[in-house]
Amino acid sequence: MDKRLVPLLPLVTKPARYTNHELNAQHKNWSEVAVKVALAFPDIYDVGMGHLGFKILYALINGRHDALAERVYAPWVDMQELMEEHGIPLTALESGSTLTKFDLVGFTLQHELSFTNILKMLDLAGIRRRSTERDEMLPLIMAGGPAAFNAEPVADFLDFVVLGEGEEVMHEILDVVKDGKAQGLTKDQLLTELSRLEGIYVPKWYKPIYGVDGRFEALESQVPNAATQIQKRVVRDFNRLPYPEEFVVPYVEVVHDRVMGEIMRGCTRGCRFCQAGMIYRPVREREPRVLKEQIARLVESTGYEEISLSSLSSGDYGQIGPLVRDLIVHYQDCGISVSLPSLRLDSFGIELAQEIQKARKTGLTFAPEAGTQRLRNVINKNVSDDDLKDVVQSAFAAGWSRIKLYFMIGLPTETEEDLEGIVELAHKVLEWGKEFRSARRRPEVSISVASFVPKPHTPFQWMAQESMEILRSKQRFLQDRLRHPAIHFSYPRVEESFLEAVFARGDRRLAAVLERAVDLGCQFDSWTDSFRFDLWEQAFGDAGIDPQDYAGRTRDIGEALPWTHLSAGIDYDFLQREWELAQKGVPTPDCRWDECSRCGVCPSLRVANAIVKEKNVE
Amino acid sequence: MSNVIRFQFRKGPEVQFLSHLDVVRTMERAVRRAGLPMAYSEGFTPRPIMSYSYALSVGLLSEAEYGDFALTEELDPEEFVKIYNQHLPKGFEVLRAQRLPDHAPTLQAQINAASWRVSLPKVSADAIKERWQWLQEVDSFVVRRETKKGSRDVDVRHFLFSVGAIVQSPTGVVFDCLAGLGNEANLRMEELGQLLCFAHLEATITRMGQFKKVGNLYVPPLEDRG
Repeated sequence: MDKRLVPLLPLVTKPARYTNHELNAQHKNWSEVAVKVALAFPDIYDVGMGHLGFKILYALINGRHDALAERVYAPWVDMQELMEEHGIPLTALESGSTLTKFDLVGFTLQHELSFTNILKMLDLAGIRRRSTERDEMLPLIMAGGPAAFNAEPVADFLDFVVLGEGEEVMHEILDVVKDGKAQGLTKDQLLTELSRLEGIYVPKWYKPIYGVDGRFEALESQVPNAATQIQKRVVRDFNRLPYPEEFVVPYVEVVHDRVMGEIMRGCTRGCRFCQAGMIYRPVREREPRVLKEQIARLVESTGYEEISLSSLSSGDYGQIGPLVRDLIVHYQDCGISVSLPSLRLDSFGIELAQEIQKARKTGLTFAPEAGTQRLRNVINKNVSDDDLKDVVQSAFAAGWSRIKLYFMIGLPTETEEDLEGIVELAHKVLEWGKEFRSARRRPEVSISVASFVPKPHTPFQWMAQESMEILRSKQRFLQDRLRHPAIHFSYPRVEESFLEAVFARGDRRLAAVLERAVDLGCQFDSWTDSFRFDLWEQAFGDAGIDPQDYAGRTRDIGEALPWTHLSAGIDYDFLQREWELAQKGVPTPDCRWDECSRCGVCPSLRVANAIVKEKNVE
Repeated sequence: MSNVIRFQFRKGPEVQFLSHLDVVRTMERAVRRAGLPMAYSEGFTPRPIMSYSYALSVGLLSEAEYGDFALTEELDPEEFVKIYNQHLPKGFEVLRAQRLPDHAPTLQAQINAASWRVSLPKVSADAIKERWQWLQEVDSFVVRRETKKGSRDVDVRHFLFSVGAIVQSPTGVVFDCLAGLGNEANLRMEELGQLLCFAHLEATITRMGQFKKVGNLYVPPLEDRG
């Protein structure tokens, strides 16, 4: 930690966010390593510490003799103000070094509403925002993560972008930077070397061309040999990947503060709204034997009281039942519980949940996403009303009294009937719960309704987001019909979904908006209390950009999209087919169990789904 | 003898800004790493059976925090200190431990006073001395205390029992004092600051001891050995 922060600590909320000395934090000797990496999470410590990707990279980089990684988080506003007042720059947690002392500063792009925090962190660190304004001095500013699949709105601020899984390419990057530094390469020479690696995108070598209407038309490369398309990196042998043997154990409460076992990567359910389901393909399961070893090591090194199994859809993991049962039996005597965040909506899931939550049967969450079968077919969420009835009844029978249902509004082809469907489902759940009612238990249902955000690399990437007025009127429609003492209705603000939609499909013209927004004071946009839509409106106005043109406009299928050079391996013909099937309400089966849906990932990335066979289970 | 171990531990500058809950969580996780034979509570979510003395405010240091751990088997206190220290993060250190006799009173029942060491920058010893002299002749000192239920006036004059030698150092002033702790005559450090007229956020304050005050006798919750 930077010693200059010490006198400020008594003056801020949760000061232990800024101190270090957490168990398993790595304090390496700076004079003994060649490459220094700052892993910068564009949100506060309490959020960033829960991020598995950075835990993996932290262990991987620090596992090398020639490199070190330290952590950097956005200071909360109270601390920022004090730092600015005292002229103290943003520093890394472990050594307290300013970010300018590192060779690489890597940001993770988890979601669009964190973009302002990246600029704010660069500002606090005293690093020029735009890559072309920075001098020859390192660090290189890099970024990865899901939102990197359309990095264009932040492209001007980044020296390079890494697409896809980081475990292999991170080593290659470290090697290149190490050699490059030894040879005294210039920044551009270093970037040239880096760009030879698969999955690396150097934004400043490309120039967007805009048409007379101001819209994106093409990306023109500025240097010879610049790849026309960057393919994401994907790890083929998931079982042989290194996994952290230690997690840094925070003192303050953070999200996902527990042992995490990554049971699987990718999801092939093919929900047409879901970007994660598209960009993380193919499906790769980790063998139970390998998982159990990894979990055991982490339990031993952290002392955590909870183990969670993480993936996009844990119920799909072939051996989930035996795995969960084994873990429960193995750890229950030492007071360690097992949790499973993303369960499938079926009665098997209930059985499992019942074993896991022997204790607090407070709430169980399902995501039907849409109120009618018709609309669920459109979005390819293959859940029927009967499934739901089954699962809700078994949940009530098993002792749960509160069911939480997630829906979206503003989905393509949605009509009033679909909204009515949400209302009906809410009431049906209460109806199904009636027979389980007792003096002590009153069935309740929570309905959470998000506004749909069309995302790049999904079949819905061409469609307009519904206007904020319509979304608000839909919220009111539901609100009026969900007034019931046993129904809790909640919905995030439409302005946040709107901004997310603008940046999700944005291009580089938005860089000016981001800069203006940060100058006006926008940051922590995903924190409802900090979100200042009025300032955002001003920023768009000042930059002369119409956000509606990004969020509220349906693109022609033939229109140039700003992100097509950033490839997740998904075939655009597939997305187009899926878009057409969606409009016809025809579902597409999951290639894990059914026939190949020809999404293009396996042939283009030379990979395949890897499912654990039963014989591998002990 | 019971299988409850009572121990005294230090909370150093590395973990100065942890809240009481952070400390409890850290202790629990260290117990698991150390593989101590802890007794767990009954019920759906078994928790190790442990209790602590009165919470230390965020930002304060301590040489004398106390904890009681219930174990399932007899463990030599020396052995406990050795094993547990190996698994505690930097900044925590168990200083000593003893097995408790059966039906020993809880920690909180055995504590109602604390000694504090206050180190103040940019303050002269004379200022503190004068203030303390003045305060000794005053019978009442009312402060406004903010609580969860609102604020109320509290007379804290006699919650500060005594102030020891006030020593001028090159960087400021150091002194020890004895004050009430717990549910009845509790003196908060910001109130100590008000009483002695110093800015408590600029001070380095260390809890040096916790005691049961019996008349003018201060008895620590662990027996002194030699």
